[in-house]
Amino acid sequence: MSRVRSDYEKSFRARFRRYISGEEELKDVDYMPLFEKQIADERAEDEKATEHYLVPPIKDPQEDARLYAEYSGIKWFRRLYQVMAVVLCVAICGVLIYNIAFMPGFGSADSPMNNGVSERYLEKGEEETGVTNIVTGLIISYRGFDTFGETHVLFIATIAVMILLKLRKDEKPVVAEGEEEGGDIILTTIARVLVPMIFLFGFYVLVNGHLSPGGGFSGGAVMGAGLILYSASFGFTKTAKFFNEKIYDIIKVGSLLLYSMLIGYNLFTGANGIASVVPLGRAGEILSAGLILPINILVGLEVACTMYAFYALFRKGAI
Amino acid sequence: MNEWVVFSFAAILIIGGLLVSLIAAFGLFKFRFALNRMHAAAMCDTLAILLVLLGLIVIDGASILSLKLGLIIVLLWCASPVSSHLLANMEVIVSSKLKDNCEVPEQEEGGASES
Repeated sequence: MSRVRSDYEKSFRARFRRYISGEEELKDVDYMPLFEKQIADERAEDEKATEHYLVPPIKDPQEDARLYAEYSGIKWFRRLYQVMAVVLCVAICGVLIYNIAFMPGFGSADSPMNNGVSERYLEKGEEETGVTNIVTGLIISYRGFDTFGETHVLFIATIAVMILLKLRKDEKPVVAEGEEEGGDIILTTIARVLVPMIFLFGFYVLVNGHLSPGGGFSGGAVMGAGLILYSASFGFTKTAKFFNEKIYDIIKVGSLLLYSMLIGYNLFTGANGIASVVPLGRAGEILSAGLILPINILVGLEVACTMYAFYALFRKGAI
Repeated sequence: MNEWVVFSFAAILIIGGLLVSLIAAFGLFKFRFALNRMHAAAMCDTLAILLVLLGLIVIDGASILSLKLGLIIVLLWCASPVSSHLLANMEVIVSSKLKDNCEVPEQEEGGASES
């Protein structure tokens, strides 16, 4: 054992250790009276709870030696833990940052991801599905069945939340005082500017899904966020003027049914090698890529409705 | 030569942004009172993001991507101070020991919001 300095408690190292392990309070006591008593109470509670674990003094030297070995191991483990935590963090950060330098460029053809299957998609995708954004072609066309299932998952999740949280017809939604008129003036001013822009951007992402990065899920999420912002800043009564439960039901069920029909037609023609009625059009135009554009819009409506429904159900128990 | 000037300028901006966000993260964990923490966090939302995105704009030069990054800056500078304001408002309304932690003007009863 190394010698302990007499003023060890005041030395920089001890203070630093206590600081790291969160034992040392801030010196300026007046600054935080709110937390002081609470922390002291928690301390006392902790000490009371751990009383049983304190080892009573032992006379037997063998037992003493065994305990010493055990506890000194723990002490060393704690020290090692502190050091290793820092070392591991720094090492992992370093390795990750170092490896970024060797990542292939964005969309470069010779990166290891782009071989085999994905090469086939990249070569034939535009010709077969008529999209310039291959990701959307993959999601809606090649793996259409998977996306179909995902959309159903969203629908079922909303129904489950409704079963749990929706109020009965004779119950009144609990809304805090002044909440119906909307939030404060700064929020409404900003929301008046931002909400149309958010909706426009969401619609752009939706409709442009087969031409540029984006598509049904991301565009729908943006539009749902716009709806949530609108209802948070202007209140539920104003939102209900254009988006109430009736409209919600129509959009949600209607878009899912239409989606089922379209994807069913797509799968049927694709599996049997029949030429689709909808022409693929010229790649790169808005009205192209067959059924992918309407399917994207329907998926986006579904996602937007799901997001807003979650928000409204959790906040007041009705849409 | 010109490339190096642009690169170093962008690097200074991005590193400055990272430093600001590091300070913000530090402050977020070391301060004890909610409004102080919010002050630290808001720095990350505005100044750090502004510096990092400006660095990216400098790297990219005048292009459509720079325009999009500029729009992101405008959106974030609109959105995050408002959300910070709302959180602070909530804290002022809810906190029972506000007067112990900061100065409250006399005329505002209980620190209610102005609106």
